Order: sequence, then structure tokens, then C-alpha cells
Amino acid sequence: MNHFLVLSIVGHAILLVNVIVYFKSFIRNDKAFKIFSIYLAFSFCIQIATLVIGKGFHLPNLYLSHFYIVGQFVLLSLFYFQLLKNKLILFVIPAIVALIGIQFILDPSLFFRYNPVGIVITQVILVLYAIFYLYQSLSGKKPFIIINAGILFYLLSSTLIFASGNLVLDLDISENTRFILINVNRVFILLLQILIFTEWYRNYRPALKSR
Amino acid sequence: MQEIISEEQQVIDIILIAIGLLLLMALAIVLFFYFSRRRIIKTELEKANLEINYQREVLQSTIITQEEERKRIAQDLHDAISSKLNVVSLNANMLSDTSISTEETVKIAENIVKVTSTVLENSRKIAHDLLPPTLDKFGLEAAMEELCDEIGDARAFKIDTNFQYGLNLLSQDDELHLFRIIQELLNNTIKYAEAKSVQLSLVANGSEVILTYKDDGKGFDVAEAKKAKGLGLSGITNRVEILNASMEMSSSIGNGILVRIQKRLD
Repeated sequence: MNHFLVLSIVGHAILLVNVIVYFKSFIRNDKAFKIFSIYLAFSFCIQIATLVIGKGFHLPNLYLSHFYIVGQFVLLSLFYFQLLKNKLILFVIPAIVALIGIQFILDPSLFFRYNPVGIVITQVILVLYAIFYLYQSLSGKKPFIIINAGILFYLLSSTLIFASGNLVLDLDISENTRFILINVNRVFILLLQILIFTEWYRNYRPALKSR
Repeated sequence: MQEIISEEQQVIDIILIAIGLLLLMALAIVLFFYFSRRRIIKTELEKANLEINYQREVLQSTIITQEEERKRIAQDLHDAISSKLNVVSLNANMLSDTSISTEETVKIAENIVKVTSTVLENSRKIAHDLLPPTLDKFGLEAAMEELCDEIGDARAFKIDTNFQYGLNLLSQDDELHLFRIIQELLNNTIKYAEAKSVQLSLVANGSEVILTYKDDGKGFDVAEAKKAKGLGLSGITNRVEILNASMEMSSSIGNGILVRIQKRLD
């Protein structure tokens, strides 16, 4: 199990590195880049909060996933709005956020469980944006194409992991088995972070700009 | 206990398989777009290269034509003016010689006047060939009529003309291009075709101007002639391109030539 802990630490470390390098290039770059940097910082904060509350205080931290899902959806939607320039995205954001809000009003106990419907809806919409952006990139060189591929990979695969969360918890599946899923997710996060770092290294590192 | 473990193992297995499938799908999507993009970029690059090559060819043939034209003008100037002026200069020198008789002086002076008028006539002709003043002053139709009259007077073939072209239908530049095309076609007929008659028509009908040129000369293989760069044909093609007109040219050995150029009016 130890090397899986390493995996998690490395994943978080790269996320931290990404937050730092993206914020160092923050001012020089366009809106899409800024929004994405904020998304990275937001992910990092949620991760830290999850760790502190869960591992530090041994308190339930599952409800943080709701904030994470909604935050991720809003920020990445804005990110794709900058890339796709499609006004429809601006209407989809409040609609989906309202939908998730209604879910919680109708069933407050959902707050302490996973929200598979919310996860699937938000992530599938983001996947659609990513595919649409891939299609647009056919017509020429577009920015953030590596990040876009990473997001597509990560969201598609993690959707199922998160969505199956309740099932796995309800089935009372042993800790060991659950760890398999958690670690698969960790691998995906690690890959996503590596891709995000690659994007910065190839297209945004300061040496490139000064040339 | 064994059952529960196998059951949960099954659930996990299914989830893992589904995740694997989703990953595979994502990979397929990304790869599909990646390769499509590469292919699109490749074809666009090829297209751009073709365009560049074509323009290079046009440029090259333009330069060759220009050089040939310069050579011709230099030759004309040399033959028709410089050599004649030499004669004048020689005669003038002889006049300054005090030992010659009055009779000789008159003869030399007459010679000078004769040669000078030839030079004048020649220089007027060269200038006229370079840019006919009629085209500038009286438009395309008049210039074409003049051109046909000149050629009809001197050459061994008959020219049938049909001009129904108003004034200033095309811009001055376009008219010059059309005029040059006709000049080149006539030149080719004079030089190579051994034709007996030529039919030339320029008709404007509301939306377009159609130029038709037909001779009954020897004809040639169009495909072969197009390969030979720097000849009159590429000049004609280039001008048609600049005119943004369309051209059909048909000819074969023994059957003369038929050219039809169609230019839409804006």
C-alpha cells in the first residue's frame, strides 16, 4: 500500500507545482489561462481541505466533493467559454448549478453522500465541451490542446469512479477493494497533472515568452 | 464470506472494466482528432505549396516574356533607329567637309532628309507597337479595328471581324490585357499558322464579354504547347488569369485554333 501513498503524494506535489508555475505566468496570459490557474488553485485547496478534515481531524469530508464538483463545473465551463466563445455555455452554468441546488433542497441527506447524478451531468457536459474543442482544433493550431486532452481523459474515467462511489460504500465493500478504485483515480489525477504541467512547459514557460 | 468477496470483486471488476473502456474511448477520440488534424494540415500544406509553385511559374514566365520583349525592343531600336542614325551622322560629317561640291551637298542633304523621315516613321511605329494610342484615346474596339486593318493590309490572310462592344465596359487595364491577348493570338497566327483567314469577334451582352478567335492554320497540340514555357501561350494564360476570366482553347494539328475567352462583368 505504501507506493500508493507515494502516488498520492506525487500527485499532490505536481498539483502544487502546477499551481505555482501557472500563477507565476498568470499576469502575462489571457483570460482562459487565468481561469484555468484559478481552477488549479481551487482543486488544490479542496484537496488540502479533504486531507486536513479527513486525515487530520478524522471527520467526514465527503460533502467537500459537492463543492468540488460545482466549483470544477463552473470554472471549467468558464474556461471553455473562453476557448469556444459560445454564449450557450453561459446559460448552461446557472441551469446546472440550480439543478444541483434543487437536488439538495429535495433531499438534504444527499449532502452527506455522493451525488452520482450531479457528478455525471456536470462531467459529461464538460466532456462534451472538450470534444467540441477538439473538433474546433481541427481547423488550426489552438491553445490548451494538451490540457483539453487531459481533461477529456480524466473526466471520462473519473466520472465512473465518483458515480460508483455510493454503490461501493453501500455494498459495504472492504477497505482493500475500495482502495483499488481510489488508487486508479490517483493514477488518473497524476496523469492529468502531468499533462497540465506539459502544457505549461511546452507553451507557457518563461524562456519561451522571452524568445 | 467467500460469496460476498466474490460479489464485491465482481462489482469492482465491472467498474474497472467500464473505466478501462471509457479510457479507451477517450483515447480513440483524442487520437482520431489528432490524426485528422495532421491529415488536414498536411493537405492544406500541399495545397499551399501547389499555389506557391504555380505562382512561381507565373512569375517565371512573366519574367521570361519581359526579357524577350526587351530583346525585341532592343533589336527594333538597333535595326530601325541606331543604324539609320549612323547613316545620318556619317552624312552630316561629310557635309562638314569643305571640299565637296554643291551638287554632292544637295545629294547628301536629300539623303539625310530621307533617312531621318524613315527613322521618324520607325520610331513612331515602335512606340505604336508598344502601346497603341488608339486604345487609350478611342477604346478597345477602335484599337482592335486598327490592329486588324494594319495586319489585313500587310499579310496574306483575311480577317473577319465582329465587334459589338460598347465603350468602357471594362476597365482600362482589362482592355489592355484583352488587346494584348488578341495581339499575341494574331502574332502566333502570323508567325506559325500559315492561315488563310481569321475570324475575330468581341461581343458584350449585358453580363459578360466574350472574345472568340479562330484561324484555319496549321494548328498545334495544346498540351505540348502548354509545356513550353515563356512562349506566347503562357502570356495569354497569365493575362486571362489576371482578367479573372475563363478561357477555352482547342486546337489540333491541321485544324487551326479556336480560342474563347469569357469575362463576366461585375
